[in-house]
Amino acid sequence: MNITQILFWFLSVIAIFSALMVITSKNPVHSVLWLIVTFFAISGHYIVMNAQFLAIVNIIVYAGAIMVLFLHVFMLIDLRANTEPQQNRWIKIAGGIAGGSLMLVMIAALRNVDIKAQDAGINTNNIGLIKNLGRELFTTYVIPFELSSVLFLSAMVGAVVLGKKD
Amino acid sequence: MNALVLSAILGVVMMFSGILLKRPAAIRSVAIIGLLLLLASNMLDMSGTRFFSINLGDFLHFDRFAFLFNSVAIFCVLVYVLLTGKAIERVGVKNYADYFALFFFVLCGIFLVTSFQSLLILFLGIEIITIPLYILTGSDKRNLKSNEASLKYFLMGAFSTGLMLMGIALIYGAQGTFAIEKFNLLKIPGSPLMIAGMLLMLFSMAFKVSAAPLHFWTPDVYDGAPTVFTSFMATVVKAAVFIGFIRLFENAFGLLQPTWQLWVALMAAATLFVGNITAVFQQSVKRMLAYSSIAQAGFMMLAIFALNGDAKEGLLLYGAAYSLATIGIFSVLSRMDDYSYESFNGLAARQPLVAATLTIFLLSLAGIPLTAGFLAKFYMIKAVVATGSNLWLVVFALLMAAVSVYYYFRVIQAMYFREAGEHSASFQEPGKGFKWVLVLVAALIIALGLFPSLLLNWLYF
Repeated sequence: MNITQILFWFLSVIAIFSALMVITSKNPVHSVLWLIVTFFAISGHYIVMNAQFLAIVNIIVYAGAIMVLFLHVFMLIDLRANTEPQQNRWIKIAGGIAGGSLMLVMIAALRNVDIKAQDAGINTNNIGLIKNLGRELFTTYVIPFELSSVLFLSAMVGAVVLGKKD
Repeated sequence: MNALVLSAILGVVMMFSGILLKRPAAIRSVAIIGLLLLLASNMLDMSGTRFFSINLGDFLHFDRFAFLFNSVAIFCVLVYVLLTGKAIERVGVKNYADYFALFFFVLCGIFLVTSFQSLLILFLGIEIITIPLYILTGSDKRNLKSNEASLKYFLMGAFSTGLMLMGIALIYGAQGTFAIEKFNLLKIPGSPLMIAGMLLMLFSMAFKVSAAPLHFWTPDVYDGAPTVFTSFMATVVKAAVFIGFIRLFENAFGLLQPTWQLWVALMAAATLFVGNITAVFQQSVKRMLAYSSIAQAGFMMLAIFALNGDAKEGLLLYGAAYSLATIGIFSVLSRMDDYSYESFNGLAARQPLVAATLTIFLLSLAGIPLTAGFLAKFYMIKAVVATGSNLWLVVFALLMAAVSVYYYFRVIQAMYFREAGEHSASFQEPGKGFKWVLVLVAALIIALGLFPSLLLNWLYF
């Protein structure tokens, strides 16, 4: 086992553990903090794959902007009072069965899977560097890239429509 | 491609027209001119005149089917703006231009969904369609029901988008590409990863078209949203997502049909059952129309099930017939204060022309012969029969179509055979233009019912 593999397993364990903590914590603020840990672990994965730019963007956008937004929302709605509604037991059971079935299907699907890209290009892959990423975005993926601007524009118009005073 | 670029530009134009133009009527005129331009440019594109030469790669492919549906969609939005444009003022006159900008962005998303060639574009298109819809649903900011509907739609929609992304990720894992025409399904006919991804895509698409068992959001959202916007999202958008649905299942998963066909059949049957049976018990016409849209989605699901030439032609016709009729009914509904059946009492005596056109729309939705709705349903049934299997579905669909007659005729009965009582809501006196457009749409529905080739010939010539 070389050092890259050790790093990979270390980061994966952290990512999965903290992701589980996100959904099992009772306190939403703890959930958000665990989510930040998850994002850092995933950024670590990006660095292992030699994608420094993606790693930094992941931290700036997700761990930075979006998580701060989450915390702000929690500040606005009062969560100290135990306001979490008591859920119907049958709904819980139904949810457990449905989620468990999905997990079984996924395990069955992943058991003997034929992965196309065997090699993730641990040290040789340069796709995540800013130069290559930019070139890919503006050549191969220029159409989806430009089209996503329409998506953001419509979201912006929407934010203005909803936020403006009548 | 013409229409795609133009729709994005027109969206921006509409945004700025809100600053420059103060009168709603002027903004509306700009939107109507924009839609006419869009329609013309799409027709030109269909006949081979392209304004832009862009290498679309593996991302988009515009075929005649897509072009024709795009024209239908633009036309329906045009009819929608002509009929309900004025009623949008009641939702909020300050953001009037922004609503039209959002319509153009939705159209842009529709063009993507009808002509995608890569799952990446499908995802983008679906998002460009739904994000403006969340906003339009919540645009009546002072109304708690509208807020609730918007939040509900947003949370459920985000969840179904998550399912779709998960499905796309699994399919990418199985195929190593997003381009649907490069999918290699022969070598690994039943790769579990591919099947799991396909099922997740099936469910998320079923959510977007409100097919059972993922229809629970529909009544609340359609009921809570301002009526004018319900009209938009229940018609053009739903039909467009169906076109994307059939495109995905034909081009990407066509070879896997034995795997998913039975599931789609069961979903179609469940959708027909839930939509029609629940619609019978509704007391409000708006809520009845919400359930009726689920029921109609059940019929359109039959096209996905059959997946042959008839199914594609039928889906096109169905989309046009359903959208036009429903836009017409909603345009009348948006002029009323009260949405109960009683408010339609005696409408025929007060507004004979409106009542007559409304009757044609309802008959078309119920699938009575001589209307476009009948032929659309006929094509769907024919497509299912042509597959030669699952004939129980045909019988069931016919049975459910018979049930639907009950609740559509309740409105007709209220209009013609009930006296106007104290319940009759005030009906805003329509202008001459409104009446003309209503008559035109009704005439179009009858014309399509007599000569479907008026529309379908465009597919081939």
